[in-house]
Amino acid sequence: MSEIVLETKALTKYYGDSLAVDHLDLKIPRGCICGFVGRNGAGKTTAIKLMLGLLQPTAGSSRLLGCDSSRLPPAIRQRIGYVTEGHRLFRWMSIAGLEKFQRAFFPNQWDDKFFADMIEYFDLPKKKKIKHLSNGQRAQVSLALALAPNPELLIMDDPTLGLDAAIRRQFLEGMIGLIMREGRTVLFSSHILGDVERVSERIVVIDKGVLRAYCSLEQFQEAVRKVIFTFADSVPNEVNIDGLLHCKRTEKQLELTLVGIDDEQIAEWARSVRAENYDIVKMNLEDQFIEFTAPANQKRLFKWEER
Amino acid sequence: MRFSSLLKKELRECLPWMLLAAIVFIAVTSVLLRIETYNENNDYRYSRFSPGTVISNSHYNLTNYPTMNEIGPWLFVLSVGLGLVLGIRQFWIPNFTRTWPFLIHRSVSRITILAAKLTATSMAFVISIVPIWIGIYWYVTRPEVFTVPPPLRFFIEGWIFIILGFVTYLGTALSGLSTAKWYTTKIFGLAFAAVVMLTTFSQWSLVWIFTVIAVSTAILLSQIFQTFLRREF
Repeated sequence: MSEIVLETKALTKYYGDSLAVDHLDLKIPRGCICGFVGRNGAGKTTAIKLMLGLLQPTAGSSRLLGCDSSRLPPAIRQRIGYVTEGHRLFRWMSIAGLEKFQRAFFPNQWDDKFFADMIEYFDLPKKKKIKHLSNGQRAQVSLALALAPNPELLIMDDPTLGLDAAIRRQFLEGMIGLIMREGRTVLFSSHILGDVERVSERIVVIDKGVLRAYCSLEQFQEAVRKVIFTFADSVPNEVNIDGLLHCKRTEKQLELTLVGIDDEQIAEWARSVRAENYDIVKMNLEDQFIEFTAPANQKRLFKWEER
Repeated sequence: MRFSSLLKKELRECLPWMLLAAIVFIAVTSVLLRIETYNENNDYRYSRFSPGTVISNSHYNLTNYPTMNEIGPWLFVLSVGLGLVLGIRQFWIPNFTRTWPFLIHRSVSRITILAAKLTATSMAFVISIVPIWIGIYWYVTRPEVFTVPPPLRFFIEGWIFIILGFVTYLGTALSGLSTAKWYTTKIFGLAFAAVVMLTTFSQWSLVWIFTVIAVSTAILLSQIFQTFLRREF
């Protein structure tokens, strides 16, 4: 089994009475590109800040590169790149000034050429101050600053938030630059499922602070599916099937979104309710995510363990 | 290298306020000194004060020396103002505090980050006010300026005002770092700084004044370090 670079055990955080992260258990192996997805307020930023030791957990623990997150020494921080939410950098500094500032913290690992290449690739004016850059440009500077020290672990908090499609694509391609470097581990949170789909191998779904899924992207895509059952007469009044996320009825059809159900179980259920026929409809990741985390399904929490 | 990088950044962020404080201080004191030289020499000429009166115990307290009476409050207000502004700028204003996660995730200890801030602020006081204060003292002690040149205590009192400005900065920093509600313990830092000032003004002995300031600075510093190390960002 490959080395675990990020591990959380029952990580829990309360803000007063409000539960932000609830018993989060994660193990991310070295070299994994992991998408961290959840709705607004799901607890992604809190979880990331807990992992980085910027917040103290109410209960549980977190370890990065084998070290307790709440006591990360400078030597470990040096091996972790962090792109903050909203790309909050020192507004009065120029890109060149920020490069100089950042380089001072990575004396033996700063890659001047890589930084220069990224700045050129993103076509950023080095003398321009951060406050005069657009949102997208600030995101690009953030990424370049985080990648130039060649970190073993890169954690990004919603790095593509507020960026247009073209800038997002450029940003992701820049990120792939890091991924190409062997053995690098990336955890990035995002609302944009297309981004996650493009670069991630694994997906973490968090909802209201609770871990809902942690598996490979393919497993998630195979697990959440929509099935339309057609009935000769009328649809059954009660739908009793495991893994039901969502149910929509028309006069002769029943549209079910299911999770963790295989073809055989679907066929068996179709027979049991005397469905005339059924179609398994392909869903994109965004639809799957929305169905999977829809508020109406909170009472149907599906405890999903990786197979 | 890491500390100097942090220090440079902090000093650069203090720079506009340092310059403003220096300019205001020079402008105000040059006007006051011109008026004060004229008045004080007239007082002496018409025997309101005889030589030595102004340094006798019965008249003497902080800001009681005639020249200090005019310049002292300005130096105090300026120093406290600089302390407040730098404290608010570093620890209160959301635009700056939003960069905390980026700053904290540096490959240095939190103590180093805070030490850079405190060092930069001390340097801001030293660079923007101290040379001017030394210049003023040099000027007012020249024999041709005042009939009765101000004593050394005049100079030391200026230092007390400058240090009180730094104490105000520490109090503001402590209040800014606190995550409590403003009407509860968050106000402790600022209230403590205010109490230190009142205590200082009620003292006559310089030894007592410096003892009060030293003890209160130590208390504020220890609280700031503890709060900063425990604080969530």
